[in-house]
Amino acid sequence: MDRDLLRQSLIFHGESLFNKLKCEQTENPDFQEVVSDLCKATYESRGGEQGSSLVEQFIARKADILFCPSWKTAKPQEQEHEEEEAGEPYAIMPPLEVFMELPDEERRAMIYRDLEKGDIVVGRINNIREYGFFLTLLCMAGGLKRDIEDLELSALCHIREIPSTSSHDDPLSYYQIGDFIRGGVKDIDRYQEKITVSLHQACLSPSLEHIKLGVITREELPIHYSRSVSAASDSNETYGCILRRCHGYQNPSVVEFLLDKVGISDTHPPSMMRGLQSKHFQEEDFASAIRKKQSASWALKCVRAGVDHFKHGRHVEAMNEYNKALDIDTKNVEALVARGALYANKGSIMKAITDFELALENCPDHRNAKKYLCQTLVERGKQLEDQEKLVTAEGLYRRALALDDSNPEAKEAMHNITETIQKSIRLREEALAKEQVKDTSQTSAEKLRKILKEEKRMKKKRKRSASSSSSSSKSSSSSSSPSRRKKKKKKRRKSERGSKRHRRRSEEGGQEDGAVGRDGDDRRINQLYSLSAASDEEESDGSHRERKRDRTEKNSQSRSPPREEKRGRSRERRDESRKGTRDSDSKRRGSLEENKTRKLSSSSAELEYSRRSSFQSEYSGISGSTYRHPENRMRHDSSTRSSLDSGRNENKDRQDGDEAEREKAEEEGRQTQKSDSNGQSEGGSKKNLPAHLLSIFNQIAQFEKEKGLKPKK
Amino acid sequence: MEGPSCLSPAGRDGETRAADRREPGGGSGTDPTRDTRTQFRVCRFIMETGLKLGLRSVPVATACVLYHRFFQRASVRVYEPYLVAMSCLYLAGKVEEQHIRTRDIINVSHRYFNKGSAPLECDKEFWDLRDSVVQCELLVLRQLDFHVSFEHPHKYLLHYLLSLKSLVNRHAWSRTPVVETSWALLRDCYHGDMCIRHTPQHVAIATLYLALNSYGVELPVGEKTWWQVLCEDVTKADIDAVISDLLRLYDMEAKCI
Repeated sequence: MDRDLLRQSLIFHGESLFNKLKCEQTENPDFQEVVSDLCKATYESRGGEQGSSLVEQFIARKADILFCPSWKTAKPQEQEHEEEEAGEPYAIMPPLEVFMELPDEERRAMIYRDLEKGDIVVGRINNIREYGFFLTLLCMAGGLKRDIEDLELSALCHIREIPSTSSHDDPLSYYQIGDFIRGGVKDIDRYQEKITVSLHQACLSPSLEHIKLGVITREELPIHYSRSVSAASDSNETYGCILRRCHGYQNPSVVEFLLDKVGISDTHPPSMMRGLQSKHFQEEDFASAIRKKQSASWALKCVRAGVDHFKHGRHVEAMNEYNKALDIDTKNVEALVARGALYANKGSIMKAITDFELALENCPDHRNAKKYLCQTLVERGKQLEDQEKLVTAEGLYRRALALDDSNPEAKEAMHNITETIQKSIRLREEALAKEQVKDTSQTSAEKLRKILKEEKRMKKKRKRSASSSSSSSKSSSSSSSPSRRKKKKKKRRKSERGSKRHRRRSEEGGQEDGAVGRDGDDRRINQLYSLSAASDEEESDGSHRERKRDRTEKNSQSRSPPREEKRGRSRERRDESRKGTRDSDSKRRGSLEENKTRKLSSSSAELEYSRRSSFQSEYSGISGSTYRHPENRMRHDSSTRSSLDSGRNENKDRQDGDEAEREKAEEEGRQTQKSDSNGQSEGGSKKNLPAHLLSIFNQIAQFEKEKGLKPKK
Repeated sequence: MEGPSCLSPAGRDGETRAADRREPGGGSGTDPTRDTRTQFRVCRFIMETGLKLGLRSVPVATACVLYHRFFQRASVRVYEPYLVAMSCLYLAGKVEEQHIRTRDIINVSHRYFNKGSAPLECDKEFWDLRDSVVQCELLVLRQLDFHVSFEHPHKYLLHYLLSLKSLVNRHAWSRTPVVETSWALLRDCYHGDMCIRHTPQHVAIATLYLALNSYGVELPVGEKTWWQVLCEDVTKADIDAVISDLLRLYDMEAKCI
């Protein structure tokens, strides 16, 4: 129990209250604690007050509520400047003293008792001296409301408390007698009744800091002051009259506003009745809780009716019932599962999956939801497999197995698809291995040449697969490239590619050496140029690929165990690079896996060559279909292409957006390289540049590229 | 004024039967006492239900006033008081622009009378209850001649509190829970018909007076006392009358519940 409050009350009421308290609160342990302290309080009692016995009885009975420390729930808002309250949300009344006609001494005493440092006062300048000016205080602003004008209180504002406008002028020259000044109380001497005022913002208390000090106009005087002036002049104006006349009084939500201002909650209001104490009420008796339970129960009824319809083949009625149930209760798990099953049955697999997922969000352990979702995912996976979207399908099967790993269909499907993928990869590996057989001892240049060849082959494969992409995609892709310069470059590249394609074809035929020799220099140059930018590009490539892969339903995980580590490594690189170069701003589209793979291989030169290339080949081969060839003007004989590639073309259509983004970022670096390389290749006779000149060119190009790439980052 | 036949004793719905069960059988004492106790209990029902529905203080007060005014001229024996109470809550929500759904009113009331029961199914009983609430609402409107908007003490009390706050030392004010106590007293006024027998300003002044008195807060006295200033026409006798009515309500709680 709050000792001070009790004491205050006892002093007011006297001994009779104390006796009643002892009588009523005998069982209250909190009261027994403080009772000894309170004995003395009754001796101080005035006794002159007319004590109403009934009231004392009431206080005594309710003392455990009234004096309980937790009874003080009000959290008043920070003192707000009345003037700032937009509009007038409640009636701002003049100080009560105006109406009460208190004696001057009492008012003076009250003011000196209650005024504190940091309060704001408003006064009129009545005297200016060389050391400062004197104010006659008119009223307070910012919280405290008192009628003090006729008390003729004087406050001093010293010259050093005035912020100077400039260093030369005398700050006092800015002020004149009769100006209204708003200042902050700096110091109060209660005994000598002296108040010092400052115009520095820093002297204000924290809640009033935002109020501007200094000269104010008559309009800026506090509202309660101007109202008190008009009230004092007209003695017929009563408090009630003014209150009803105030604009703020008519505010329909004035009660809510003021409750908020004084800090009482209207949702858990205080009450002195024993039965209405909030601790007696349980949450589940409240309207919202009952409604939720009721909605769930009503929805369940509809679902049961719907299931009944479904079992009898009346699918339309069943769907109606499910929709009705979901109208009543939008997150009803049973309704969602039942509707999902109906969708799956009808063949709307995607809608079914959405419903099941929503159901699992609300109730992650729902057995049926998991089972049905697993089955639906498997079915969808099979659909995708038929469309040759093996990667996506594999992701779906994986998810299905994660949900329910006892499902035989899912396991079988997973097994099948991993086999298929592995087979295709193996095929490519064998092809690669054939090339690598010729590698005995290699210089780095030869290694680079090999890498370049690989890339070209990959690119070729991709191009061939992309050739089967629709013409619309081609035209759209080519039309979307904004600048002509890019087109030129692409054309240049195309021609280069065209020439290289022949070379590549011959390569694939097995005549590797010759091909290497012909375009080796070109490639080497390009290679070297791309070295510096390779990491960036690769990263952006990788990041795009990563993103794409992530988007294709989490199928970016390793397709087969031995490849996992390679993938993981490249992913690491891509992850870190993704963060780095995500915001390359030149989003020109490129089509050149050629450069892409070249960069890939070049930056991975540190890694073991055979692993690298095999990884690349597999990676680029598998994901190659996802890269679009915007200007695929070359004809590809897709006869040798595996079904994988053609299958992936369809993936491409779906992932157009991703690729565009990716390719744009790639093209940035590629463009710069290409310009150099194109320039050089078009030179024609530069194939046989002496080595030292080559190295000089390389260095220059690298430097330029670095310079060019850095700002783009 | 006669109400629709569905509310005659012959046609009671399940809810009212439940309400009958709740009241102690064979009320002791004279009829007026029993009536007062019934009123008290029904008002307690209104306050509790209002709280559980999330109704603010003013709409709850309106509901209570509607109820008291209805039974000023109607008899408790003719009209089922709990049904009238539910309709008053519904109507008060509309009047004070805090609309509540009948479904929520029925849910909370059903649970009030049948502790821990399952929520009602969407069946004939539910629709009958809903119909009875809506029809009773029209009955209440007609009984009150469609005068359903009232002036409440709450606005006055809050403004008085703000004015008084500036008169006392800020620390003393924050130490003393006058705001909570006066608000609680004001809300509790609505358990009885004193809320319609006194003017809003008088009720506000009285609750404030009682709160200040309980804590022994001293206010400066000038030519006029603070309560004379806040409301010109209130006298000490008025204040005492209101306070005694209010204290009687607290005594009744001990007897009724």
